[in-house]
Amino acid sequence: MIIKMYTTPFCKYCKVAKEFFKTKNISFIEVDITKDNKAMKEMVKKSMQMAVPVFDIDGQILVGFNRGKIEKALKVA
Amino acid sequence: MYQLIIIGGGPGGISAGIYAARKKIKTLLIAEEFGGQSAVSDDVQNWIGDQSISGFDLAKKMEAHLKAHKKDIEIVEGDRVVTIKKIKEGRYRVSTQKGEKYETENILLVSGSRRRRLDVPGGEEFDGKGVAYCATCDAPLFKDKAVAVIGGGNSALEAVLDLLTYASKVYLIHRGEKLKGDAVTQDEIRKSEKVEIIFDSEVREIFGNKFVTGLEYKDVKTDKIKKLKLGGVFVEIGSLPNSDMVKDLVKLGKWGEVVVNHKTMQSSDSGIWAAGDVSDVLYKQNNISAGDSIKAVLNIYDKITGQSRK
Repeated sequence: MIIKMYTTPFCKYCKVAKEFFKTKNISFIEVDITKDNKAMKEMVKKSMQMAVPVFDIDGQILVGFNRGKIEKALKVA
Repeated sequence: MYQLIIIGGGPGGISAGIYAARKKIKTLLIAEEFGGQSAVSDDVQNWIGDQSISGFDLAKKMEAHLKAHKKDIEIVEGDRVVTIKKIKEGRYRVSTQKGEKYETENILLVSGSRRRRLDVPGGEEFDGKGVAYCATCDAPLFKDKAVAVIGGGNSALEAVLDLLTYASKVYLIHRGEKLKGDAVTQDEIRKSEKVEIIFDSEVREIFGNKFVTGLEYKDVKTDKIKKLKLGGVFVEIGSLPNSDMVKDLVKLGKWGEVVVNHKTMQSSDSGIWAAGDVSDVLYKQNNISAGDSIKAVLNIYDKITGQSRK
């Protein structure tokens, strides 16, 4: 399972999400979109939204940190 | 069967949980997340005992303090209370989103408040597609775009500051004729050439294609309708108390806040207390939520132990 998480530096739910993955021992790739313009465009294209965090869990796209939805996506993946 | 169920994981819920545990009240605390609304603050400088701490670190510290008492309190994390049913006097059934049911003699509601949404055509449709509720999080996505912030209080002013770093132009649209936020922040905003403040104006519609392209507003003094071309709209128009679950049980104020006796924090129902932003407290502050919630727990303890205080 590959988890890619698009973030910005001051976003609380990005931090909450990182903490969530860490406590569950799940590895993820974090992309700070403020440092990577291409990644920002990629994120908006994938999610069709202009908001962080965005999660790409094996192709499933989720916008915003919602514990229940993330858990569900992890089970499917 | 619990003696007390605490609903909420902000400073109020956590403080109440610690006091209830130390009083050995048979308590269940249900919280979706810990830390409350200030968990998003970059820097909290008024939490007593910490000169400067990030909202996130403060939330972690408070959560750890509560969990240090875990042998004396049960905690359900990651679930949300959706309904409360009064079975009879002094007995309530609390149901959660995950379908769990718990029974209790007393309830302390410290469920806080949620952001008020922009209730105009396009507001929901473009939510996340240019309509945004967190400038700290999403400002970088609006680089070199013209944006508008709706509101006039501190949160709106801070959103303007967050956006100034990235946006090419920031309109601040305010219903009133005067801004309400702190004078220091107002001065900072007025210094920027990028900022244009539009007073006495109400947003009527958000429009766009796939994403927001602009909005329409009305100048309430002249009744003139005007349009702005925009790449984003940040909404900072206050909050609403999370009191839906008790709306048929207790007296609520105009905005849905739980009316309480401020000496005890007891609501109009003798088994339900409320504190913090969900109550009709005048000042929405971490320290006040903590203190008021503790007041409630002490009053609940008095009730349980049959003590009365004058």
